Amino acid sequence: MKRVMLAAAAAALLLAAPAAAQNYHIGAVLPNSGPMTSFGELFRNGADLAAEHINSDKILSKPFSINHEDSQGAPQAAVTAMNKLVRVNQEPVVLTAMSGVSKAIAPIGDREKVVAINGGGVAPDLAKLGPYFFNVIPLVNYEVRALLPYLAKEKKVKRIALVYVEDPLGEAVQREISELAPKNGMELVGSFSLPSQSRQFAPIAAKVREVNPDAVYVAYYGQTMVALIKQMRDAGMDKLLVSYSAFNDPDMMALPAAEGSVYSSQKMDWASTDPVTARFVADFKKKYGKTPSFYNANYYNAVWVTGKAMASLEKKGQPITGETIRNELLAIKTFDAVGGKMEFQPDGTVSMPLQINELTGGGTKVLN
Amino acid sequence: MLLLQLLVDGLQLGAIYALMAVGFAVIFGATRVFHYAHGTSYVIVGYLFYYLAERLHLAWWAAAAAASAAGVVFGVLLDRWMYRPIQRDEGSFFTVFVASFGIAVVAENVIVILFGASFVSISTPLTRANDIGGGIVISHLGILSMLIAVGLFTFLNWFLAKTDVGVALRALSENPELVRSFGLNPRKLSQYAFAIGSLLVAPAALVATCVTGLTPTAGHRVVLISIAASIIGGIGSLRGAGLGGLILGLAESLAVWKLSTGWSEAVAFVILFAFILARPSGLFGSKARV
Repeated sequence: MKRVMLAAAAAALLLAAPAAAQNYHIGAVLPNSGPMTSFGELFRNGADLAAEHINSDKILSKPFSINHEDSQGAPQAAVTAMNKLVRVNQEPVVLTAMSGVSKAIAPIGDREKVVAINGGGVAPDLAKLGPYFFNVIPLVNYEVRALLPYLAKEKKVKRIALVYVEDPLGEAVQREISELAPKNGMELVGSFSLPSQSRQFAPIAAKVREVNPDAVYVAYYGQTMVALIKQMRDAGMDKLLVSYSAFNDPDMMALPAAEGSVYSSQKMDWASTDPVTARFVADFKKKYGKTPSFYNANYYNAVWVTGKAMASLEKKGQPITGETIRNELLAIKTFDAVGGKMEFQPDGTVSMPLQINELTGGGTKVLN
Repeated sequence: MLLLQLLVDGLQLGAIYALMAVGFAVIFGATRVFHYAHGTSYVIVGYLFYYLAERLHLAWWAAAAAASAAGVVFGVLLDRWMYRPIQRDEGSFFTVFVASFGIAVVAENVIVILFGASFVSISTPLTRANDIGGGIVISHLGILSMLIAVGLFTFLNWFLAKTDVGVALRALSENPELVRSFGLNPRKLSQYAFAIGSLLVAPAALVATCVTGLTPTAGHRVVLISIAASIIGGIGSLRGAGLGGLILGLAESLAVWKLSTGWSEAVAFVILFAFILARPSGLFGSKARV
């Protein structure tokens, strides 16, 4: 019996030793292929830079890394990737993006007590998605509420049309504009929905031209939205195009047809002197050779606050699990992040200021 | 006005679909190979055209010619180095299809590595619509695509009816043994079919790269449209595939006249199902032929 006990103790020690030496790691289910790939690259670049900063600052006692899995921008593939990260890799935190994908993986996070952090999806129902689901990006309903008064006041828009994707994001924008347009002295003169896999948009342009709006709100995303804008312009739709933060996409900025479009986004001042933002901007330019976008910043923030919460748990001598990280995020509540203070709300959203932008000369100009 | 505009849009779209479908129909009709990588030929032509014209600033006609040639070479090499060895080993129709599908997936990933997964298009004033009266707009490239479609169909009909190779290709689809007994080489004819079929998809790829833009995954839709058009027109029928493509383009566009815009692409496939149920042989397909 004594020998068995000794053998068991030795085995436990052998098993425990590598476990103690294991690095800290979190997972990411981001679109690394498919029509959202250009966004996936933005998300990944920001997240990886934060991991580098966490390691170089030695805020944790062990090296920190991110295990990336490809969501392909599709809920089904994302669920498979999430199951692998949660059950095989035992990740306590998983980064997610896009509304449909985030809604698909959130129940797994809740069930397995794994924190999911979204920095790219903006459908309003991403709020209150569960106790383990956090957003580090303002949701689209807040963006619409900021943009419509600006359009009414500054651009004198009286008649607005909407082209939207048939998914939770598009339908949320449709509800929001239907409700808010009359309150801002506007008439919603037409709502045109399209499946997310549509490729031909000339007929939509004809329908939009027929209702003769002052501005067209486009609630779409990814490469399909780039194709939509190009085809609508080519088909003679020359009215003001307006949208939400998805217009902050390198492909969209490079598209001549999108020139002059107006869109809302979270506020981000790259010239800010606050230490977190200044360091992020400088190191991002050094690493990737370009100015960051706010999607880069969101995923940097998602990883950065995770590292801070883990460091706080280490300091308190508490175990690092999904449950303890969640509790620590809510306990700390306000973080110094890129763009300024970031404060988590009880419903899993963040409060952040917004800005109105214009696409011009292949870049973005802040209007308001 | 809306109806007329949708009709014009539908004709432009139908011309592009018809070009896609006819290339597929030529290959399938003559060789009975389910050439899924037909969509890959389309994507190769489109991306090469984009690269040469937009990035290397080659003259558009030189870029178009080089890209089209690359599409033809891809089709011919695939027939020679992939389909033929499988068929030589008595690989089934399904084996050839899986091999073709595999090539399409590999090629898609290679294109992502070479060009990235982003949307690409060629900026040209030719895609901007002009008012032709009564508020109806059409671009120069839209007119050109319709003219190209008509010109190519006329040429192809003449080629298949009047030239030795054309007649031999038609015979190949009916009876390969008979072709052999006349001293013709079915392998050689098969390569002609792949060359012509791949060449036919090139104008569609060139126009679409400018008009709708291109992504590495675009090839799957090309095959889907080609199959749908071939079924509507009658499997193996060249006229049928062309007409099927035109019907699909018109249906997609005209559907939004009275229905919600979300029905646009669904309506085209409702028509396909209707044909499968009511007339499985298609418009011109009493039996397979080129």
